[in-house]
Amino acid sequence: MNAEAIIEKINTDIKDKVQEVSLAAPLRINVKVARAQLLAVLQYLKDQFGFTHLATISGVDLGESFEVLYHMASSLATVNVRILTPRRDPKIPSVCTVIPGAILYERELQDMFGLVVENIPDPRPLLLADDWPAGEYPLRKDWHFNRPAEIIPGGK
Amino acid sequence: MEFKVSLGPQHPALHEPISLRMTLDGEIIRDADLKLGYNHRGIEKLAESRTFIQNLYLTERICGICSFSHQTCYTQGVEKLMELVPPRRGLYIRTLVCELERVHSHLLWLGVAGQEAGFESFFMYTWRDREVVMDILDIISGNRVHYAMNTFGGVRRDIDEIQRKRILDSLDLLKSRTEYYLHIGASEPTFVGRLAGVGKLSKERAIALCAVGPTLRASGVPMDVRKDDPYAVYDEIPFEVCTTDSCDVLGRTVVRVKELLESYKIIEFLLKNLPAGPIKVKAPRKVKENEVFSRYEAPRGENVHYIKSNGSDKPERLKVRAPTLANYPATIEMLKNGFIADIPLIFAAIDPCICCAERLVQLDNPRSGKSQVLSFSQLRHMANQRYKNVNFKKKESLWPF
Repeated sequence: MNAEAIIEKINTDIKDKVQEVSLAAPLRINVKVARAQLLAVLQYLKDQFGFTHLATISGVDLGESFEVLYHMASSLATVNVRILTPRRDPKIPSVCTVIPGAILYERELQDMFGLVVENIPDPRPLLLADDWPAGEYPLRKDWHFNRPAEIIPGGK
Repeated sequence: MEFKVSLGPQHPALHEPISLRMTLDGEIIRDADLKLGYNHRGIEKLAESRTFIQNLYLTERICGICSFSHQTCYTQGVEKLMELVPPRRGLYIRTLVCELERVHSHLLWLGVAGQEAGFESFFMYTWRDREVVMDILDIISGNRVHYAMNTFGGVRRDIDEIQRKRILDSLDLLKSRTEYYLHIGASEPTFVGRLAGVGKLSKERAIALCAVGPTLRASGVPMDVRKDDPYAVYDEIPFEVCTTDSCDVLGRTVVRVKELLESYKIIEFLLKNLPAGPIKVKAPRKVKENEVFSRYEAPRGENVHYIKSNGSDKPERLKVRAPTLANYPATIEMLKNGFIADIPLIFAAIDPCICCAERLVQLDNPRSGKSQVLSFSQLRHMANQRYKNVNFKKKESLWPF
């Protein structure tokens, strides 16, 4: 089965659940879905085509909203499942029930973008320091690093 | 009663800072938890403020062992955004360095595995041979660690006839040595006895936890980006994906040794079929607004970069996922129900000096979060109490193997 056949099958089977399906490049399928349909679409991809491997989850700050991409890979092709979540209410569902290996990527998203992953099995911070101030999310575009003034002990 | 023992982040045996907390039942690990972030350098944020060409050298510095993996993954992604097609000679040289890096990384890993298994001479042998590969990389690029070979649209250095001959000569030596290691790995009873059955990871769990690379292939899943999603010139090269079904550390060792032999075949093919012509084409400075998802088979597994451009000379977003992060959930699975003494083998880089790591033991229930600090005399008393009442027959069923 090639990428075109996968797109055709998605279009016939779950047309009501996806907003947009396109072939971005050879072996790269872009699928845009609503937040509420994410789990159903990932489950469908897993059952129908065997997309069991989640390569990673990428977050992108678009200003008014966040874009979250689930890169599903298999020997057939790579499907980038894309959802949008508004900045005011940055909630995304946890996909750990479908893909247990997603846990570290979801924790990373919580740390770096301040997304709220609903029903996440383990919500602890992953990468940021223990004394990292609450409410600061470094990969958001409006976050800038301000280097603290260097204090030399005993210096002038 | 459960003991919670922590290892790291700063520990003489750790090569890099990572904190590992294990819940123990005697010698057996019941649960393990990782804490990351001690080495987080904010490279993804930094990349957004640098130009594409500056990021070429930034991505190379993500890792010291698989530096070329990250750089190639990034370069191939940006080349797709720029709609560049590198000349074939450039791609052949790029693939050559990819495979040489795999050889040096796998030889390094074999040495570490030998050392952790208590097979010191194996460590000495493989690291001696690794110098041969490092010298080849030095001949090609002038560097031993960060090769700086890639540029958008090809590679930066060509190889001539004398270099080609020297690499082929060194390859014969490496090939005979690696065959010897495969022989040792399969026939040396102490080595096999130490590695077999350690760090079990079933095929189903490996797939569910999204493991990558030799870890996944040793559990019998033939996933290799070079075959599934061929980049550079891998679609022209005949090679096999190495797998085993043993699901343990021995299997991971065998997969890596077999991959070494495959890599030598690939390198030989590349050098014997090296096409003539230019090695690079000119690349634009600015990149059109687009996005790309780039995959690469690093020595440790699938490496992915997601790059989004916004029409300027700087990327809007660069997301990097190194193979080791993908293998952490699987590592926790492997540690569970294994022995403390197997941690170094499973982690392959951590020395098992746990007794000296802690003077005071903290008893902890990881689920409820309750903890209490006990002195060693209290602890000894509790341990004696426990072994007075222990039911040995019942305990046998808990033995990991």
